[in-house]
Amino acid sequence: MQLIKSEGKKNGKRKTGKKAKAAHVTSTLLAASCALLGNPTIADDWEFDTAIMYYSEGDRVSALEGIVQAKKTFKNYREFSAKFVADSLTGASANGAVPQAEPQTFTRPSGNGQYTSNAGETPLDDTFKDTRYQLNLQWSQPLSERYIGSTGIQFSTEYDYLSVAVNGMLGRYFNNKNTTINMGVSYASDTIDPVGGKPAALSDLVIDNGQFSSQEAFNTAFADSRESSSDTKTTLDWVLGVSQVINRKWITQFNIGLSEVSGYQTDPYKFVSIVDDAGIAVRHLHESRPDSRTKQSFYSQSKYHFKNGIWDASYRLSNDDWGVQSHTLETRYRFLLSQNRYIEPHIRLYQQSEADFYTPFYNEHETLTDFASADYRIGKLNTYTIGIRYGMKLSKGREYGLRLEYYNQTPQDAGKTAPGALSTLDLYPSVDALVVQFDYHF
Amino acid sequence: MTDSSKVSETANDIMSDAAVDKLFSLQSHGDYFQAKFSSMASPCEFLIETEDGKLARNLARLGVAEVKRIEHKFSRYAKGNLCDAINDARGKKVTIDNECHRLLTFAQTCYELSDGLFDLSSGVLRKAWRFDGSNRIPHQSQIDEVLPLVGWEHVHYDETSLQMKNNMEIDFGGIGKEYAVSRVASIFIAQAKNTSTLINLGGDIQITTPRVEQRLWTVGLESPNQNQQSQGTLTLRSGALATSGDSKRFLLHKGKRYSHILNPKTGWPIVDAPASITVASTLCVQAGCLATLALLSGKNAESFLDEQKVKYWSIRP
Repeated sequence: MQLIKSEGKKNGKRKTGKKAKAAHVTSTLLAASCALLGNPTIADDWEFDTAIMYYSEGDRVSALEGIVQAKKTFKNYREFSAKFVADSLTGASANGAVPQAEPQTFTRPSGNGQYTSNAGETPLDDTFKDTRYQLNLQWSQPLSERYIGSTGIQFSTEYDYLSVAVNGMLGRYFNNKNTTINMGVSYASDTIDPVGGKPAALSDLVIDNGQFSSQEAFNTAFADSRESSSDTKTTLDWVLGVSQVINRKWITQFNIGLSEVSGYQTDPYKFVSIVDDAGIAVRHLHESRPDSRTKQSFYSQSKYHFKNGIWDASYRLSNDDWGVQSHTLETRYRFLLSQNRYIEPHIRLYQQSEADFYTPFYNEHETLTDFASADYRIGKLNTYTIGIRYGMKLSKGREYGLRLEYYNQTPQDAGKTAPGALSTLDLYPSVDALVVQFDYHF
Repeated sequence: MTDSSKVSETANDIMSDAAVDKLFSLQSHGDYFQAKFSSMASPCEFLIETEDGKLARNLARLGVAEVKRIEHKFSRYAKGNLCDAINDARGKKVTIDNECHRLLTFAQTCYELSDGLFDLSSGVLRKAWRFDGSNRIPHQSQIDEVLPLVGWEHVHYDETSLQMKNNMEIDFGGIGKEYAVSRVASIFIAQAKNTSTLINLGGDIQITTPRVEQRLWTVGLESPNQNQQSQGTLTLRSGALATSGDSKRFLLHKGKRYSHILNPKTGWPIVDAPASITVASTLCVQAGCLATLALLSGKNAESFLDEQKVKYWSIRP
């Protein structure tokens, strides 16, 4: 038996050409080496990052988010990662209308039913409820000694929203890989399918205050305020970045970005109130935003390794043709408490100027412009975040972390004089939020 | 039957932590630790990218213990170990363990790939050849005396036992150091797969996973070129390096240089072999074997490696 076996082997060898055999040596040796070592020697396991986050604005929006990310590194540093995010949002969000001394009634976005705001408080639309699912798939690999490429696709879906995006990135190393230059582009195509249809820009919110002779008459009036059932939006983002290793302890990064958004960018559920000289809201208009937005941004980040800590600081400047300019300063310091525990305080400061068409309300005798929005998120706004993260490394590369953050958004007075009764009401209430996150890496 | 199955594969059975701690020094370099020790007649180091001293010490301990374990078990200089049991069996069957079987299987693959030139049993030729830089080359009669004791085909083994002719010897030195490098890498990956580490046993090197932020590891290397006294440094991102050959071990006779790489079929040195070959590859054992196969190819050493499409450095006298 053995003789026949070894004969067969020899015959096989003879048939194989010398060249072909030479090419086999490396792979045969690798297989033999792996067999010798008896267990996986190249780190090619799947790595998982999981997180669960709870966000709460108290009486407003609260969200629960789960994230699962899986990453696998293959031979030659080719890498695949998949990320899945599920969000559940509930609660109430400001609808843009001004507060009034009396309770106000608004039609729900669907046209079916109404909700009432409390006297003296910012009107909140309590219909806000959504579940978002997002999936990212990304592949990256070295293209040669000096180049690395990456490409990916992303799907995101909500009740009234669908987004598909593709991206590509090319990086080149210089100077012993101490310098990396990246260029990336991504393109997203979104479909917005607002509940109750897409309202006509600056059309009156139709409210049934008993003036309609029948439900049908209301329905007709409501339908008249709708332009179409859905709309689309595309986003093209470019980014050019440099990362530089200054020395063993210090690494920096600079990015410039350009973003072109075209299509429907109006929030279909937000209003701008028209008030009379006494400060009484007489009508509410559906807001309207331009269908193009060009944004430029600059970002720089530095990370420094100290003996017992890591300091991370970044600054971001963003500017767009809606007139929104923002500054973000962010810093973290990771105190290494012991060999495998750390605590990391975090501070983020954000300031933005208002969009040209932002207005907290319209005066009755003011001429309407084409675009108007009272959404505080594109108004003059300051926010800050303070937080702390505790991390613990376990054996075998496992790690968990707990993050606690306080987030404050304080809309600023954009300088519009509030008439009459409106002057006694808080047009710019601040919003506080709490974030709790637990994450686990394995 | 000589029983060597008690020789354990787990390092902890052999040495306590405290005993291992005495064998190495551990130093922090900011974002990484360096553990230095000496083994297999070479300066050795582990570089561990962490600021966690406890993790670094733990890894260094496990790594040093593993290197020492392999050295003790497979060194042909030690008495009473597995290698000694095999070489002292006088034609009898010797019990071997799984690790030994895996090493023999690997050696078998190398033997086949080299058409019989890579032969762990060729060590006895040292009885005829002494590479001390002198001009003393042996007589053919001296070679003829030991040549019958060389021949992998006379080594019969299975998963639990090994048997060979009386007076034959096996020398694991040809693969032992590279094996130790890759074994330590396996242990580091199992313990801390996301931590970048570099294992360097006298110039045979393997990196477990690349460093963060595309940083490179820098290691000092003794130049294999004897004319170059200065130490060189090498920067590495990933993979493994192994060197075969030794520019200091040769004989000069009547103007002809005899390298210490011997042809087990003739008992004479391989003609026109480079003084040393360094190969870069995925695993250290693989790189080491490629380097040795190249040396055994003599004047075709470089073209052999070109065909393998691996990165290499060759030094010719």
